[in-house]
Amino acid sequence: MADIHLDSAVLAGLQDIMEAEYPLLLDTFVADSEERLRLLHQALANNDAHELRLAAHSFKGSCSNMGAPLLANLCKQLEDDSRSATVLADAPAVLEQIEREFAIVRILLKSERQRFSSL
Amino acid sequence: MAITSLPSDDGQELTIRIQGRFDFGTHQAFRDSYERVNVTPKRYVVDLDHTTYLDSSALGMLLLLRDHAGGDNAQISLVNCNADVRKILAISNFEQLFKII
Amino acid sequence: MPLDPRLSVLIAEDNAADRMLLSSIISRQGHRVITAANGLEAVAMFEQERPDLVLMDALMPVMDGFEAARRIKLKAGEALVPIIFLTSLTEGEALVRCLDAGGDDFLAKPYNRVILEAKIKAMDRLRRLQATVLEQRDLIARHNEHLLTEQRVAKAVFDKVAHSGCLNAPNIRYLQSPFAVFNGDLLLAAFKPSGGMHVLLGDFTGHGLPAAIGAMPLAEVFYGMTAKGYSLTEILREVNAKLKRILPVGVFCCATLLNISFQRRVCEVWNGGLPDGYLHRIATGERLPLVSRHLPLGVLDPADFKDACEIYPMALGDRVFLLSDGVLETANPAEQMFGESRLLNVFAANRQPDLLFDEIQQALTAFRGEAHDDVSMVEVCMVEADSLPRPALAFVDNGHSSPLDWAASFEFRAQTLKRFNPLPFLLQLLLEVHGLRFQGGALYSVLAELYSNALEHGVLGLDSRLKCDAAGFAEYYRQRSLRLAELDHGYVRFHLQLLPEANGGRLVVKVEDSGPGFDVSTILERQRTAQSLSGRGLSLIRRLSDRSTWADDGRGVSVEFSWIDQA
Repeated sequence: MADIHLDSAVLAGLQDIMEAEYPLLLDTFVADSEERLRLLHQALANNDAHELRLAAHSFKGSCSNMGAPLLANLCKQLEDDSRSATVLADAPAVLEQIEREFAIVRILLKSERQRFSSL
Repeated sequence: MAITSLPSDDGQELTIRIQGRFDFGTHQAFRDSYERVNVTPKRYVVDLDHTTYLDSSALGMLLLLRDHAGGDNAQISLVNCNADVRKILAISNFEQLFKII
Repeated sequence: MPLDPRLSVLIAEDNAADRMLLSSIISRQGHRVITAANGLEAVAMFEQERPDLVLMDALMPVMDGFEAARRIKLKAGEALVPIIFLTSLTEGEALVRCLDAGGDDFLAKPYNRVILEAKIKAMDRLRRLQATVLEQRDLIARHNEHLLTEQRVAKAVFDKVAHSGCLNAPNIRYLQSPFAVFNGDLLLAAFKPSGGMHVLLGDFTGHGLPAAIGAMPLAEVFYGMTAKGYSLTEILREVNAKLKRILPVGVFCCATLLNISFQRRVCEVWNGGLPDGYLHRIATGERLPLVSRHLPLGVLDPADFKDACEIYPMALGDRVFLLSDGVLETANPAEQMFGESRLLNVFAANRQPDLLFDEIQQALTAFRGEAHDDVSMVEVCMVEADSLPRPALAFVDNGHSSPLDWAASFEFRAQTLKRFNPLPFLLQLLLEVHGLRFQGGALYSVLAELYSNALEHGVLGLDSRLKCDAAGFAEYYRQRSLRLAELDHGYVRFHLQLLPEANGGRLVVKVEDSGPGFDVSTILERQRTAQSLSGRGLSLIRRLSDRSTWADDGRGVSVEFSWIDQA
């Protein structure tokens, strides 16, 4: 099974719902996600497992809505890790993976946006 | 409680059966049983075999039937009365108006 | 009223993209969207907009969804505002938290349009159901209040008409709920002009206002006629005719009526449709059941109505008990009925007559497990005639002056004697004379005694020596009915003379009958010494009137009443 960074079926559904506001949704997600990443880093820096878990949980939710399964899974992993402080040691590595996956998703979303504009 | 009415073959007699409690709640059903029939019987039989309870509203309903059936000319029999029913009918002296079997 | 499918939906979600997505989904389903980004905002928006439904994210900053949900549910009060939690929480504990906070359902991410629509529809159905329930509850409460007010008014009218009469007389004990009339229960008692009493225990079919409606005309007739001196049978006929006329078919009144004469120490009983009353004889402990022999009141046409009463002698201290069927039907928690045998057991166990009434009450309370208010019970005791207060008589004071100088004669012949009681009419006539009003009771007693003697001993030829014991009593009255029914000749005459005097006036009444007469001196002597049941008739007449004289042949008697004008 090929890794799906962005599920086009989900995107099609979103486009169907949002219609003209579809690009706005994509932009909002990107902006929102960047903010969430910042919060994740902050929580990790403060060693705040609780904040980390909440932020990861929230990010997971919106990723699943947008059809980014890999990103969502990584968030889930981070969320689960945060439950136990001893495994918190793994957190930085997972966060790094999240950054990289998000970078891919952001690019894919940008091209999706352009595809839509040209319709 | 269920009330059923059955005309005889020649339509001269109507038998009304009352199951369960014969009280205030049976008012409409009882009236329907003799008003909503296609026959005009000369005689009425009220079968109280499965009647578990009878109160003063039931007595009132019997009087309504009697009025419908011609008042003093009515021929109405109350049949299969158990001991409790008999007692109630006796206290009210209803045998002066109905044939009680 | 057409259902408006368009709802207002509050979306509380801190994630901007998710919030935007959800808003679009909901708008597209035709609903109006209100948004909030955290719990605090959600509560504020709810307060302001009062949406029909809330979609609440569980984990939000500032105030989380659980707390927001709790507050919103509080603000909603009785109304149902469905809250659907948006959550990816899967642990059972987390889901329990949602329910504890008042959540009605969950929706997981990623959002599924179809599922969301289905849940919204379902929640809305529940919301509308709750609204209907509250509306109907309020409607029912208003109607109920309305009915209670109507009943209060009806009861006030009824209390005026059916005032308690002489139920508070020293020889009567009774038990009755103040709202008995709405159970169809009626208890009336009134003094007769002669000092005796009429008592009525009645039970109308039905409940509520329909049962109470018949009670008013009945009470009016009962009190009105009793006060004027009408007999029990006359009252029975009138009451039956009235009820037959005004009540619908199927509505009737089971009743027991008593006519108690303290002078004669007798009780007349008519029972149509009530359970047995009881006559309790103190001397022997015997309890005579007073059985229902007649159809209830309001069933038969006047022509078919049977007014035959049973007559029982009563000694001092003897009591009559009447009970409504509420007594026998008193039920315990296991739904068994008190019944006749338990009642008879209470009678049998009784040692002191004075306590019997209380013992019955206690037995009922013990059986039922709590106080009861739907039984009616009355006990009437035979006492000395003079021990009871004499009632004021009823007369119409139309302000005209008193007729003071006149004479009138009446002859009542066989056909009239059979079916007409002249006493009320004569009494009303005499009460037109103001000076006689204070002696109205004595006047009535004397006239009644004279008439009774003239009719029974003179015209019908009955021998009062027959009334020496209970059996003889019954025989006497049986013969009275028989002979009266067969009567075809004879008369009773009243001659009334009203004479003014210096400071007042004098009434002279002469009564004659067509009978053979009697030996006056012998009878007077016999009556003076006898303690018999045959009445103290002649000595009563002498005692109550100012002068009384018998013609020697016993076929006529003259009595006088005089008065001095009050200044």
